[in-house]
Amino acid sequence: MESHNIEKLLEDYFEGSTTLQQETKLRDYFTGDNVAPHLKEYESMFTAFAVASEETYDRPIVLPKQHKPRYRFMASAAAAVIVGLVIWTQGTQVDNRISTNYENEEVAILKTKQALGMMSQMINSSTTQLDVVEEFDKASSTLFK
Amino acid sequence: MDQHSFIKLVNPFKDKIYRVAKRLLVSQDEAQDATQEVLLRLWTKRSKIKEYRSVEAFAMTMTKNYCYDKLKAKGSNNLKIVHNNYEDHSGNTSKHIEVADEVAWVFKLMEDLPEQQRLIVQMRDVEQMDNAEIAVALQMNETAVRVALSRARKKLREELIKKRNYGIS
Repeated sequence: MESHNIEKLLEDYFEGSTTLQQETKLRDYFTGDNVAPHLKEYESMFTAFAVASEETYDRPIVLPKQHKPRYRFMASAAAAVIVGLVIWTQGTQVDNRISTNYENEEVAILKTKQALGMMSQMINSSTTQLDVVEEFDKASSTLFK
Repeated sequence: MDQHSFIKLVNPFKDKIYRVAKRLLVSQDEAQDATQEVLLRLWTKRSKIKEYRSVEAFAMTMTKNYCYDKLKAKGSNNLKIVHNNYEDHSGNTSKHIEVADEVAWVFKLMEDLPEQQRLIVQMRDVEQMDNAEIAVALQMNETAVRVALSRARKKLREELIKKRNYGIS
């Protein structure tokens, strides 16, 4: 190819107005063996592009294992375990709840009273322990009058 | 989509992801990591892949974003990229050794271009993508792509002529 034509193409090339086909033409010319001496300085540029385009990614593509089927398996296993647990607890459930059903109403009232009384007794005994706190008050009142 | 068909889908452009990442990150290792990461992200989005007009353009955008993030992180850490892998790994170019030196010089010049120009030169002059494709991948308009491309090429030419005239290396 005559160098005149190439010069014209180069001019367009640096303006960014060449087509890809024209650029291929330029690349072919400059990577060939018949580059005109006055165009030598462009040789390295187009050779560089050609060299760069030959690099490849050689590592194998590593992808995570597909989880879908395993998830399904795990979900069904979990469901089976839950169903099993429910059946088992239903079967072994003994009546160990606190019995609240008294036949006699009076007995029930008495029992309740007893329980409440015990509770208030406990609260009283614990509040008496708080009497000690009053000592602080006494001490501070003698200090700050 | 299973792994097999996914790999078949990405195979035509996995090298391109790598080369573009390497143009930005320079280091081979980092470019390989970037490629793996981009492919992995693409894999996690595989259910949506059909919604994209071009998977390849989408992958390019992801690569660009990933590398920009990497570079930004690097910049904030005040680390300068150490580059020592200029030798030609392809091994099947018929050019001679003195040309190989000059080629390494061109790569170095490309490194000094602003990130966006570097990407555009890589996509256009190396990957031979057309400006419309580049515009989609980089989320720019075509005119801006052409202007940046012209600027980058002229800058490379300027540096090459400078080198010829003064023999700076």
